[in-house]
Amino acid sequence: MADIYLVGVGGQGIITASRVVGDAAILGGENVLLSETHGMAQRGGSVVCTARIGDVQSPLIPDGCADLILSFELLETLRSLCKANRGTVVITSTEKIVPLSVSTQKLKYPTAEEVKIEVERIAKRFFPIDARKLAEEAAVPMSSNIVMVGALAGTGISGLERRHFEKAIEMNIPRWLPENLDAFARGFEATSRWSQT
Amino acid sequence: MLLLGNEAIARGALEAGVAVATTYPGTPASEIGDALARVAKDAGIYFEYSANEMVATEIAIGAAASGVRALVSMKHVGVNVAADALMTFAYTGTRGGFVLVTADDPSCHSSQNEQDNRYYALLGGIPLLEPSSPQECYEMTKEAFELSERLELPVILRTTTRISHVRGPVVVGRIVQGLKRKEFIKDPKRFVTVPAVARARHLVLLERLREAERLSEESHLNKVQRIGTGARIGVITSSAAFNYVADAAKALGVPVDVLKLGFPHPLPNRLVIDFLRSHDRVAVVEELEPILETSVRAVAQHESINTKIVGKADGILPRAYEFDQAIVASGLVRAFGLRGDVAKEAVIDLQNLPVRPPVLCAGCPHSAVYFAVNKATNRKAIFASDIGCYTLGVAAPYNAADLLVCMGSSVGTAGGLAKVNDLPVIAFIGDSTFFHAGIPGLINGVHNGHKFLLMILDNRTTAMTGHQPHPASDTGPSCCNITSVSIEEVVKGCGVRWLRVVDPYDIKTTTETVKEALRQEGVSVIIARRECALIAERDEKGAILKKHEIDQEVCKKCRTCVEKFQCPAISSTNKVQTIDEALCAGCGVCAQVCPHKAIKETR
Repeated sequence: MADIYLVGVGGQGIITASRVVGDAAILGGENVLLSETHGMAQRGGSVVCTARIGDVQSPLIPDGCADLILSFELLETLRSLCKANRGTVVITSTEKIVPLSVSTQKLKYPTAEEVKIEVERIAKRFFPIDARKLAEEAAVPMSSNIVMVGALAGTGISGLERRHFEKAIEMNIPRWLPENLDAFARGFEATSRWSQT
Repeated sequence: MLLLGNEAIARGALEAGVAVATTYPGTPASEIGDALARVAKDAGIYFEYSANEMVATEIAIGAAASGVRALVSMKHVGVNVAADALMTFAYTGTRGGFVLVTADDPSCHSSQNEQDNRYYALLGGIPLLEPSSPQECYEMTKEAFELSERLELPVILRTTTRISHVRGPVVVGRIVQGLKRKEFIKDPKRFVTVPAVARARHLVLLERLREAERLSEESHLNKVQRIGTGARIGVITSSAAFNYVADAAKALGVPVDVLKLGFPHPLPNRLVIDFLRSHDRVAVVEELEPILETSVRAVAQHESINTKIVGKADGILPRAYEFDQAIVASGLVRAFGLRGDVAKEAVIDLQNLPVRPPVLCAGCPHSAVYFAVNKATNRKAIFASDIGCYTLGVAAPYNAADLLVCMGSSVGTAGGLAKVNDLPVIAFIGDSTFFHAGIPGLINGVHNGHKFLLMILDNRTTAMTGHQPHPASDTGPSCCNITSVSIEEVVKGCGVRWLRVVDPYDIKTTTETVKEALRQEGVSVIIARRECALIAERDEKGAILKKHEIDQEVCKKCRTCVEKFQCPAISSTNKVQTIDEALCAGCGVCAQVCPHKAIKETR
């Protein structure tokens, strides 16, 4: 059983990432429920997806109950911590998308160091990942969401096998498959290497 | 396969051999229609995006009254629009299966209210099914058609956001080709509801409801599920609440018997009576209104059952917003005096984090309109807004919405506002919303001599719900023979004498046109026409547009571009304004907004 909480900003491919996780779970013979909350905006608002793998019936993850938080944006990482506990692993893309409220209401966007301190105060592990850079190295700048799926898979927390994720990527994004699998591999290595240390 | 609840409903309809399906898009129902639109031609069904929910319902009624199966889907507030047709269709009844899907939105994730549409089933005397999972969405859609034909009544299938927008495993069957055409057999004593017919048909409806109750008693959709063994306590529940009950009971480690009602109206009275009699204490767990609770209490009173019933009347569960596992767990703890600490302490203070509310996209033509209108009026105007992406103009810096209640309300309320206010009144309505509910208000304004400016924000699509077509579109589902209806011709046909069409990316012309419009007597109309920036980007029409940058040597740091204009690509950090090239849509509006000509095309 694993409760995975995916957060970020509209337009980052979070819903696609959650579908890859869902299909990987089905391929792995597990029950899975996905939910998505994206409010009114087509782009630019906070997006929350949940993936609950295992014997569950309700799709939402109660506060403090996520096993893994996969955050696609630095500020949203802080917002997601209401779902974290002492055992939670937090993977965050270091990408920053500055909301308009920072400009208009003169609010402060947190630094990477502040996010790290806050995550480590509450959760078990913190994995910052430069997903955009890894995606560019894989020659598909659009695929930072797949890098993040790779990082999720690399931790082993989902209990699913690598090949199931790879097959799920093929099912969901048939275009640019070798490049996307490369992006997945780069994300996978980023956390599997750290997981062993 | 892994299906969204909405996709599972579409699949169920195809397997039920549906012939005609209609919708007006609205979150969280939109994906039902979108899924059917994609496959309509291949599946040999007729699907259309109708002008509004009333028309969508009437199309489906025409088909079902003839004897084929018809599905109409909409968001909860859409049923308010469709209700006039639906209430009386229950009197005539149907020949072919007729299923109306209402997707409710507890917590108003993307809606103007969180009304509980189960009341429509009670109000109209219409059987109601409520699935709890994507698998049940699929199965109950098929059952709904069977039930509708057996009872010759319309059936309501009600979901909520957490049913429609949950993706889960669904085991599907084979798609069946149902009857696609059927000669309408005339029967005016049934289908023409003049008063004499209506009076007779009401009795028929009541008789059918008694039959429906018998089916509800026998239905496998209403069943007791045991979580753990030896439970003395019981829960009566339906829809999404059932899932939270199941997970909460497991988390609390308490055995509970659950009467899950997938077919809650008409209420299976005998089943409820037996359940009450066999438990010491029963909680009714349902989101929003205490509808089951009130019915269950009525049954208990009628049967003189002493079982303690707890629910919203006792304050154990809230009447507003959607539930989750924690809310239901805490409700169960209070209902049954259980031990269990379910409240988590806040581990992080979210108050000081910069908020990320929904915003208009980079390159959004609505942004340009609102900037121009504020410039033209110096913010001395009253803004009657409407339902669509453009409602987001309510936020700073535009503050371009003062009154909004429903689809089409901009035009009607503008007339009322203008009658009693001195400030000029400007109504904003989207292209799709104009066709949906704006036209009668416009005709009324012209006829009764109201004075206001109506701005039709024409981005050539129904953007907020996922870019569905509307009557002015020149393409649509491949099964439809599409004709584009001209907004200009409709406006003129409504009797409007002063009409202009502007490109909102041209700030100067738009501003001057608004000023001129406000000098007119009667109703003036401006169509601000520019394709949705996301469509332009998708179709790569944006390639002709040039990305922009701020020349920091020319920039006077006056902050006009972030305080009077709003673009997600422009940010201001450490007092320096910059444009994120990756986000810039190249609309060039910011270059017109900047008073110092510091924003230029990127070389």
